Amino acid sequence: MPKLFPVQEIGSLAKPKWRTKGLRQQLSSQDLSEAEEWATKLGIQDFHDRAKSIFKTGDDKMRVKAILELSTLYGLRLFEIAGVDNEGVGGEQQRVEMYEHVIKAVQGMNLLGHVHSFDNKYFNKGVAESKISRKHPIYVPEFLDVKKYAHRDVKVPITGPYTLVDWSFSGYYIQKQHASSPKTRRIEAKREFLLDIVEQVIRPEIRDLVDAGASWIQIDEPAVTTHPEPQEMELFVEAWNETVKGFNCKFSDHTCYPSEIGYKVLSEYAPKLDKCDQLALEFANRDTSRLGVDKDSREGYGDLKHFVDAGFSGEFGLGVAHVHDFTGNVSSGAGKSVGRDFIESPELVRDRLLFATRIVGDPAKIWANPDCGLRTRTWDVAFAKLANVTHGAELARETYQ
Amino acid sequence: MSPEIQLAGIHPRSERLIELTRSYERAKASWSQVEVQLGQETREVIKLQESLGFKHFSDGSLDWQDQLRPVTRSLKGVESGTRYSRWFDTNTFYQKPIIVGKISAGDIDPKNFLRAELLTEKRGRKVTLPGPYTFSQLSENKHYKNYADLLFDIAIAELEIIRRLKNEGVTLFQLSEPCLVYQPYRESFRDHSEVEQALGAIRSLVREKPGDFLVQTYFGDAAPLLPDLLDLPVFGVGIDLFETDVSSLSEQEKTSKALVLGVVDSRESFVENPNWIAATARKFSEKVDARDLVFASNSDLKFVPQGIANQKLEALSKASELFEESR
Repeated sequence: MPKLFPVQEIGSLAKPKWRTKGLRQQLSSQDLSEAEEWATKLGIQDFHDRAKSIFKTGDDKMRVKAILELSTLYGLRLFEIAGVDNEGVGGEQQRVEMYEHVIKAVQGMNLLGHVHSFDNKYFNKGVAESKISRKHPIYVPEFLDVKKYAHRDVKVPITGPYTLVDWSFSGYYIQKQHASSPKTRRIEAKREFLLDIVEQVIRPEIRDLVDAGASWIQIDEPAVTTHPEPQEMELFVEAWNETVKGFNCKFSDHTCYPSEIGYKVLSEYAPKLDKCDQLALEFANRDTSRLGVDKDSREGYGDLKHFVDAGFSGEFGLGVAHVHDFTGNVSSGAGKSVGRDFIESPELVRDRLLFATRIVGDPAKIWANPDCGLRTRTWDVAFAKLANVTHGAELARETYQ
Repeated sequence: MSPEIQLAGIHPRSERLIELTRSYERAKASWSQVEVQLGQETREVIKLQESLGFKHFSDGSLDWQDQLRPVTRSLKGVESGTRYSRWFDTNTFYQKPIIVGKISAGDIDPKNFLRAELLTEKRGRKVTLPGPYTFSQLSENKHYKNYADLLFDIAIAELEIIRRLKNEGVTLFQLSEPCLVYQPYRESFRDHSEVEQALGAIRSLVREKPGDFLVQTYFGDAAPLLPDLLDLPVFGVGIDLFETDVSSLSEQEKTSKALVLGVVDSRESFVENPNWIAATARKFSEKVDARDLVFASNSDLKFVPQGIANQKLEALSKASELFEESR
């Protein structure tokens, strides 16, 4: 019998200071003191040898490569020690950010500057200035490092084509449209831009990843439910099916922070997604912070039923840990609120998993994960959250054993 | 007189301010450093409006973390801080207000709404607030059994905020009501009885001095609703020309209201040509004979980088001159 409630990471971890600084300039031993501390916690035996070679090299490219490799190793070990079963690519340490990392590798696109996302978070928004194509591999170098160091299963999260297009200005693609209505011009431009991203950028990348040995690719599509109109959803399905066509690989979708009806809308289209073995969704953000397996206590998980009712038969990656700032009240036994962080207790994670199992009907279909990447939390907080997710999954498992 | 130009919401932060707020998050900069930069950039936004001939000045709301938050934090009966929701169909988010008790005005600190000390007293001051309908729609209601009660309590509480802001010299309030025309978060679009309720709440909010208010719609087609909006006792009504089907408007609608034309797209980086803006406004005025026209972006310019936002404002200014020359 396969392990019930396996735990997976879902995206990025924060970048350590030494990783960010080391990409720009030579590091001092002081800069690596934090890395040394974590090396002990994470059991990185050859830290001092690696540090020496980072200090020694005068070649910027070599230093950057060594730092990216080391931070990937740290991310992988953090996940392993926290008990995570599928450790992804070690917290996406080799990517600037999920959007910008891809856009920088696309010929014909230009980053225009940062725009506000929420609070003090921003993203660098790009525009298509001409027909697009892939300049160089996007995720493959990272995957090769991951393969070298991972002790557990891995998957490669990639940013989905629909999201890349939705978060970009369509520039070249909209200016070449001739329809008189701005709305029609926008949708026609989007379709052309989207299919170009699929064919010219994403499929070549997946081909390279699969050739390099990737067996599970998570396609991140947070933007998909933001336009719940049928025309947009059909476009998403068309792009997805085109993306995965012909590849022998497990695919999963990760969609988070939808509008109120976003998951209901996605549920109607999920069964049409070819080869989509798992949907990893965000629920903790909308749930209460009290224990219980009743409907009221677990109000955040109600949308799961839409997917079951619509006939999606794959697995669910269940968001059981909040990843953003939290300043609300926490009931007894459900965890603790520390500053702007909420550390869910294992019991709260357990209750969320058990409630979801009632809806889905089969515990073997449920994975436990944070709502999204933990990049906005410190490593201490990310570790505490993941350790409790792992422990909570164990508690849920005990119920079935 | 050439059409007035106005800011229609939150202006984008500069790369410098963005970097500073990020440093603050990483505990590498103090909040007082951020405040100094915020003050400097607010002055620059005001200066830009001066140079472009604005009549009503906004401070750009550079410190607003989302379009609802200053209002949320000024109300009793509302909690926030646990849940983020997507702002319509954009890649931006807001802290969702959770209605947990009867809503009333709480501690209102005008400084959370505008930097009055940086705005000249000689010119009009404009503040953009979420309208009561939009605020109620984007909240999670855990208290009210009757939706109308929620809606009107928000309006009453917002009236208190408006009174306080009038003491700070604000002369024009934009009530943003995108939910009247676009509801991607709902399964079924609102019906007309809900529109009546929403307009009723707006009427109750503007009753003391209707001439101080604009009701702005965006992200959706305002054409079916325009006659109702024009019936509101307000100074003006705003529509998003990138979403509104102007061809469906009845011929030669005449109104004593000002029409705010959202004629540059805050969701595209392409800077509109002033000739195109002026021609689009001319076509619109052939359909609707408005007392005054105001040129603006269709919504907050925060969706584009600051350099592009500033160019779009310059394009509006130039277009206003071109429009006037051709009249």
